[in-house]
Amino acid sequence: MKKIRLAAVSFLNSRPITYALERGQGRMGEKFDLRYELPSRCADLLAQGEADLALLPSASYAAISDDLRIVPGIAVAGKGPVRTVLLVGQVPWERMDVIGTDSASRTSATLVQLLTRDRGLSPRFETTTHAHIMDTVVGTRGALMIGDPAFIAAERFPYVYDLGQEWTKWVGLPFVYAVWAGRPGAIDAEGVKLLQESLRLGLQHRAEIARGWAENSHLTPEACESYLQHNIRYQLGAEELSGATAFFDRAFKAGLLPRKAALRFFDDGRPERPITTVRTAPPLPVPRTGTDHPQKSLDALLTDAAAGQRLGFEDALRLYDKASTIDLGMAADLRRQALHGDGTVTYIIDRNVNYTNVCVTRCKFCNFYRPPGRADGYTHSKEVLAKRLQETVDLGGVQILLQGGLNPDLPLAYYEDLFRWMKANFPLAIHGLSPEEIRYIAELENMSLRGVIERLVAAGLDSIPGGGAEILDDEIRERISPLKCSTETWLEVMRQGHALGLRTTGTMVFGFGETPQHIFNHLEHLRALQDETAGFTAFICWPFQAEGTRLKLKDDTTAMRYLRVFALSRLYLDNFPNLQVSWPTMGPDVGQVALRFGGNDFGSAMIEENVVSQAGAVFKLSGDDIERYVREAGFVPRRRNMRYELLAARQV
Amino acid sequence: MTLPSFASIRDKVKAQEPLSFDDGVALFHHKNLLDVASLANEVRERMHGDRTYFNRNFHINATNVCVAGCRFCSFARLEEGSPQAQTLTHEEAFAKLQRRVDANEAVTEIHIVNGLHPGLPFDYYTKLLSGLKAIKPSIHLKAFTAVEIHYYHQRYGMSIEEVLRQLHAAGLDSLPGGGAEIFAPRVRKKICDDKCNAEEWLAVHRAAHAMGMRSNCTMLYGHIETLEERVDHMLQLRALQDETGGFQTFIPLAFHPDNNALMKLPGPTGAEDLRTYAVARLLLHNIPHLKAYWVMLGVKTSQTALWFGANDLDGTVQEEKIYHMAGAETPQTLTPDEIVRLIVNAGRTPVERDTLYNVIAEGEALVPNKPFRRNVRSLEVVQ
Repeated sequence: MKKIRLAAVSFLNSRPITYALERGQGRMGEKFDLRYELPSRCADLLAQGEADLALLPSASYAAISDDLRIVPGIAVAGKGPVRTVLLVGQVPWERMDVIGTDSASRTSATLVQLLTRDRGLSPRFETTTHAHIMDTVVGTRGALMIGDPAFIAAERFPYVYDLGQEWTKWVGLPFVYAVWAGRPGAIDAEGVKLLQESLRLGLQHRAEIARGWAENSHLTPEACESYLQHNIRYQLGAEELSGATAFFDRAFKAGLLPRKAALRFFDDGRPERPITTVRTAPPLPVPRTGTDHPQKSLDALLTDAAAGQRLGFEDALRLYDKASTIDLGMAADLRRQALHGDGTVTYIIDRNVNYTNVCVTRCKFCNFYRPPGRADGYTHSKEVLAKRLQETVDLGGVQILLQGGLNPDLPLAYYEDLFRWMKANFPLAIHGLSPEEIRYIAELENMSLRGVIERLVAAGLDSIPGGGAEILDDEIRERISPLKCSTETWLEVMRQGHALGLRTTGTMVFGFGETPQHIFNHLEHLRALQDETAGFTAFICWPFQAEGTRLKLKDDTTAMRYLRVFALSRLYLDNFPNLQVSWPTMGPDVGQVALRFGGNDFGSAMIEENVVSQAGAVFKLSGDDIERYVREAGFVPRRRNMRYELLAARQV
Repeated sequence: MTLPSFASIRDKVKAQEPLSFDDGVALFHHKNLLDVASLANEVRERMHGDRTYFNRNFHINATNVCVAGCRFCSFARLEEGSPQAQTLTHEEAFAKLQRRVDANEAVTEIHIVNGLHPGLPFDYYTKLLSGLKAIKPSIHLKAFTAVEIHYYHQRYGMSIEEVLRQLHAAGLDSLPGGGAEIFAPRVRKKICDDKCNAEEWLAVHRAAHAMGMRSNCTMLYGHIETLEERVDHMLQLRALQDETGGFQTFIPLAFHPDNNALMKLPGPTGAEDLRTYAVARLLLHNIPHLKAYWVMLGVKTSQTALWFGANDLDGTVQEEKIYHMAGAETPQTLTPDEIVRLIVNAGRTPVERDTLYNVIAEGEALVPNKPFRRNVRSLEVVQ
């Protein structure tokens, strides 16, 4: 039988992937021929048909052909600092006139161009050969350094930017540097399994690989091992796929890639599933992005979903109706472990400031609003706000969740002034204005959604909370909040926000008498948009708190339904990195259980919350309380910011 | 010492072998709560399927005057004449039942527990029982913890058997499980030094079982006890059950930190509550029922416990005083409809029982017919 010709990148970071292949162990020797090349050469060999499968830089995957397949589960990826893709210079990034890009790597070159544009800079880019690039860094000429030389460059130059870290800061997702890719039919299911097996063995032998590499380089074994352990991730899971999609989209929009690549996979014995859906405007009713398997057993569905396979709509409904609660929890927990395996549970210290309670919307489920003209309506003065913001800073808060009613007396200029004043005086991120508020400002000002968001971002807006989504179904919305924005508008605000680089959260409030179909339609909307933009950081859901509101409902809002919906959300939203438990509504005890039903974030130690508490939820927790609940549930608590970046561990 | 592996414990559970002391400790230490829950749920479903029991009952605390100074109790050392003290006359106690009979309420059980009152004559209790039975002969009287029985034995100079015989003759049907706290002498000395010890507590239940009466058993957890002391406690109950078979239900009771001498302790969190339930289901293979006492645990955690080993939600529990004095913010009562909804919404099958687990109603007869959210605050607020 003809052997499959493999071309792999010659850098250290590919060695765990090729560990067993290189040693030709067992079937691997019979099945594969392996050679090492620079990244760009790997791409050429594949393009010219001289290799069947290449460890292909992700930009080349998009550039070579629109008909390549990826080996599932394997990647060279990283979230945060990667250490081997650097921009270096004698001057800061902003002052570089020319940036030399390494001819050996199209992906890194694309990445540095994308990040440079994002900063509003326009230096000239020049291609330089891999061997000599470091020598070209003089004066205002910077350079992209990749592979092992980057370790040396990091010591040598005063200005060093880790592009992995810059990417994650920008997008909140991992960056995928390379994947095994080839033409359809280049490898069979057995071959795929052997490649996965080689990686599995390689990951077990990282120390040995590091020692071997160190012998032939200037690096210590410890440095090599730390790099393989901490800087590179080798799984190709939902988060990585979201990261790759985000990169393809952005690079395509910036004209740096010839096409918006879709992620397609070789058969690993499972049905193929497209991950990316390209749409200009999302049609309603909802597009269904998963594949249903009516013949599959519930156990098989749960096992596959836990392993990261996309759950189809009808399959999700079957699980909702029939799966055992414990089984749902265990599958969601496996998924959480795959995404956040280290057992860290994050939380944020922030303050919920409701700047005005005047609102024209009159939602039946809201206890907080006052119609315009009422004596007990308020808009906080800067003095009141200053006191609250300062308290937040003093209590270790890092963010303000700023939401209010739809107040006809507050023009866009009010918000611009407010944000600029906040940013000038307090070191706090502004997580503010739900889609409904943004839509209302656009209406008042007769502006586009994008125009409003652009102005708000310029004034200091950092992110948009996902409030007001309730159930994204216009029939339900019509019934409970007829004046609020439509499903389409809500999604459009998020889409525009993401396009402008904002991160947002997705939410769902259930218990309005909706059907399970409505719930999964809602999740489908979020999943499809996330495929498109990768801009959601987290998903949060809770059952509606009815007490004292004008909405009289008989729906099931018990803890058990919450846990089932939550676990299924973890499984359905395969492209959402984080799931936040809702202790303010469910209580911290149920919150703890939800950490085993897919949750990896305990939300916020809220210093002030007015809306839910006026509808009967009475739970209050400090940061210390949250840490205790998280610890007793068997996890390690860590503070985070809105982008889900960990903050320094607390001194205990 | 290395603890047994989870896999070895799972094998034992699947083979239906009793778990050891070390197994119990290992289950408390096992990292993934859902592993333990899944095993406990398997045992629960093996024993009861989806069936989840509740009853219609109410509480009478005839007196809260008490000579004991238990550090977790809001009534500790309460003397007659102090403003909080309350001792019901027989007429007041009877009126509580009469009112419900007149209103055609289908209560099947009265749960009676009291302080250790030094001044009441013994016939206060016998007359209380016989008077209640006279009003409604079919009512089940589940009364007097082992601690009370043991106190009567000391206070009135009668043997345990004689105390039980006279109360039984007056109408006593079964004993509640309270007063067990934690059996370890170290813990009892610190938190309930005035109460009878483990051997005495167990002796009362042994005697009741020998007379043909059923009883329940409890454990107060989440204060100063160690995990090993919890396991030891449960295994002592299991040993007596092997001997007599008289326990019906085990009820883990979460310690409540307000208004008592142990206020500085935080009290257990939901994860710990649920783990304790799951471990109890696995260790106590010979005690048929495990009750999530919602008054103490909170409605939400109790409902969740139905997937962590519990198969009983206690009852409608009107007029509960002890935990509410200790800060419980749970509602004072749930209607049968509310309990049925909670069970149905948990994906379980509700069964109304009497105290001895005879079926009163199930299936069609229990389809809830009123809006569940009749009183939202009562359902949404936990301690």
